[in-house]
Amino acid sequence: MGGIPLGKAIVVKNMVKWYGKEVLALNKISFEVDEGEFFVVIGPSGCGKSTLMRILAGILDYNSGELYIQGQNMKDVPPHKRDLSLMLETYAVFPHMNVFYNIAFGLRMMRKDKEYIKRKVKEALELVEMSGFENRSPLELSGGQRQRVALARSLVIEPSVLLLDEPISHVDYMLQRKLMEDFKILHKKLGITFILTTHMQEHALTLADRMVVMNTGVIEQIGTPDEVYRTPKTVFAARFVGDINLVPGEVVSKEEKEYIVKTDVGEFRSLSLNEDDLVGKKLAYAIRPEFIKVDNDAKACENKLKGKLVRYYFFGNYVECVFAKDNVELKVAVPAEQAIKLRFDRKYLIGWRSDESMLIEKPSVIEGLNIEDVIYGK
Amino acid sequence: MAKYTNYLMLLPGLILCVFFLIIPTAIILRIGFSESVSTAEFEIHGLTIENYVKFFTAPQTLKILANTFGTALLSCLICFIVAYPFAYFLTFHVENEKLKAYVISLLMVPFLIDWSIRTIAWIPILGDKGIVNSALMSLGVIENPLNLLFSQTGLHIIWLQTYILFMEFPIYLALSRIDPELIQAAKVLKAPPHRVFYEITFKLSLPGVICGWIFVFVSTLGDYLTPGLWAGGLQTLGLSISTYFGKNVWPYACALSTIMVVIALVALYILLKIVDIKKLIYES
Amino acid sequence: MKLNVKHLPSKIYIAIVIVIIYLPIIMLVLLSFNASANVTFPITGWTLDWYIAEPEPYEYGSYISVLYDQSFWKALTNSVYVSVAAGLLTCFIVTMTALTLRRRIPGRDILFYMILLGFIVPGITLGLGNLLSHRLLGLHLSFWTPVMLDVVFAVPFGLVLMMARFEAKLMEYENTASCLKANPLRVFRHITLPLIIWEVICAGIFGFLLAWSEVIRTSFVIHGTGVLSTFILMELQINPITTKWYAAGTILTTVSIAGLVIFAWILSRETARK
Repeated sequence: MGGIPLGKAIVVKNMVKWYGKEVLALNKISFEVDEGEFFVVIGPSGCGKSTLMRILAGILDYNSGELYIQGQNMKDVPPHKRDLSLMLETYAVFPHMNVFYNIAFGLRMMRKDKEYIKRKVKEALELVEMSGFENRSPLELSGGQRQRVALARSLVIEPSVLLLDEPISHVDYMLQRKLMEDFKILHKKLGITFILTTHMQEHALTLADRMVVMNTGVIEQIGTPDEVYRTPKTVFAARFVGDINLVPGEVVSKEEKEYIVKTDVGEFRSLSLNEDDLVGKKLAYAIRPEFIKVDNDAKACENKLKGKLVRYYFFGNYVECVFAKDNVELKVAVPAEQAIKLRFDRKYLIGWRSDESMLIEKPSVIEGLNIEDVIYGK
Repeated sequence: MAKYTNYLMLLPGLILCVFFLIIPTAIILRIGFSESVSTAEFEIHGLTIENYVKFFTAPQTLKILANTFGTALLSCLICFIVAYPFAYFLTFHVENEKLKAYVISLLMVPFLIDWSIRTIAWIPILGDKGIVNSALMSLGVIENPLNLLFSQTGLHIIWLQTYILFMEFPIYLALSRIDPELIQAAKVLKAPPHRVFYEITFKLSLPGVICGWIFVFVSTLGDYLTPGLWAGGLQTLGLSISTYFGKNVWPYACALSTIMVVIALVALYILLKIVDIKKLIYES
Repeated sequence: MKLNVKHLPSKIYIAIVIVIIYLPIIMLVLLSFNASANVTFPITGWTLDWYIAEPEPYEYGSYISVLYDQSFWKALTNSVYVSVAAGLLTCFIVTMTALTLRRRIPGRDILFYMILLGFIVPGITLGLGNLLSHRLLGLHLSFWTPVMLDVVFAVPFGLVLMMARFEAKLMEYENTASCLKANPLRVFRHITLPLIIWEVICAGIFGFLLAWSEVIRTSFVIHGTGVLSTFILMELQINPITTKWYAAGTILTTVSIAGLVIFAWILSRETARK
């Protein structure tokens, strides 16, 4: 058994979880979470995030691997003895108790005295902005209110780690923004470790101190949002975090620090940051929409092509325009004032600088996939 | 949850099964293959298939089996035909929830009155001097009273009354669990009413239907009292079993019992092929 | 209660079926006041004798009025004991088993099928088998034997009914409670039980009902006066069938209806409270 890192809130080593004999939910997952971190697990539906949460909480058993919480091995430790709190995706507010008793439940189980419980529940309700709701029945509450009750319930027992399973996924956009702010404020105020799962990258980028990108039971990448955004290690991670254009290509040569990549729509250059020799390799040429310039601005760029404007998506302060050449479509984030002047079905020059593009070699951490499949979303 | 707690919780059910179900059945199985059993010291003698041979070569066997199997099936059919519309109308056409509860309770009351009394109470209805015959005779439809009571007709009517609750209740439960939105969805997809019924409602109620059939089939299979008393001497397997048991010819009686269990299991197997009960009770 | 005339034919059908099922009961209530000992029409006169007349010295068996028939009351009380015991035991076993069978544990299917077997094996076989197994193992038949037989039969039924009504949400509530520092016992007491109490009670009632009316299985394993069902059966086979049994039946009907009304009243109070 290797050394257990100190000062880590959660350590997971080689976690394997099978459902029955056919479904491998977690395939040797390993990661660490620091004390007080806001840690976000992001991935598509079915990638194993909920499974992971449940295993951390102790309500689901795992096949092999190690789990340490606050340095203690959690093997055979039942959920009610773990120093953490889990809020499920379905909130699971007890229907047969009113709000007060729901929130008070954990404290009652911890055998705190009545005065203490009363005080703490009151504080918790204030924290989630639901003071005065003590006597309400859960059946009378809206979904959002129930969520806040569930949150208060999880926080009132003062856990060291708070697990939140897809808390922001089922609400409308405005509420999502508000919830994200609330979580960030709460995290700062309480200073405890937060672990949150979501399938929407905006949440991860906004909230996380560090994040992990999961894909069908494996970890594609761990890092700060900045790291994952700027230097995605696999095509999957690149696609999943932030919008990106990916074109399959082959490296034909290297000139000084730049590689020349041949793709279906032309040859492009890209700076490479690592020392490996990529010549002759098949990989994905990546460029983010915000780095592509249109029309006059594109003339100064090293990489250019002419594409026809086929679609656009209005985002308020910018417009995402889709330019097509042959079979390839490139998304470009065009500032609104410039976008107004563009016309459908006309060809425009688009271009970008070599130092802003990326070459991504690995399609995914999962073996046996080829670049095209991951790019086009198998 | 510690794993052993699970098994601890299952222990009562397990003990129940083993002692009062598995072991007795095993004993019956064993005795069915024996030559004789001495009642005093309770020793089982011999190991032979003589009993089964005797049964399968006896002349009335085919008739007995046909009677047993046939009447059981027929009564299932009759119960089903009466109970399904009942359950359907109760679920979908009666709006008042309270009324539904009352009707269900009403169906349970006869169950609490002893079986024997319930059955003899048919005498004033189906008997020679009973209402049916008196009414038919005074209307001039028939001259002599119909022998309704001690016949297969009487048998099935009595069986209907006895077992309809068990055909109706599972079907009712299954029907009431159907999400009304599914029916709406089918209608929106332009399905005509009879297709909606067949494809959606009926198919979703199948687990309940199967439960009902299993219960009624097995009950009528094993119910030797009713045919014995009221069917006018219909020879069934159950009757044979009780006769031979009464005569203390245990090996033969046990062999017949085993055959009865096998029939029930075969029926169960067939019915479960139609609907996998397991999947609907819990996810595997 | 307002009568909603929508779907009238359906409601008429329901009414007809109920009437057919209740016809014998109506008969027996009616004829229990018949002066004649004949169990069928015509009614020769009206009397309460079958209920409460003091028995003449020579009267026996089915001629003794219900009130004075000691063995009848003994059988009745036996039935009550057996059925209540069966109900409680069914309730207990069904709940424990249903809650545990939700989880994926090895051997789950086998146990499920084994329990289901109690439902499939015909009454005669079960009764006969238990009689023989008791003799073989040198055990005496006791009060508990018919109880256990009834439970063996009622448990599969109750189990299927209970498990079919479990929601997936139940486990979520339990999991959440576990995360809120409740050990398994407390989870059961505070979360599980309150949420399934209704199904548990129904399982118990089911066990009671099935035990009460069971005749075939029980007849093999009783001793002494036996329970009501076997008692009456024997009486009817040995002694002439008289109107007295209608009187007995009427009493049973009245008690049952009263019981159900009380039950329905409690039920409506509970649902009103929610």
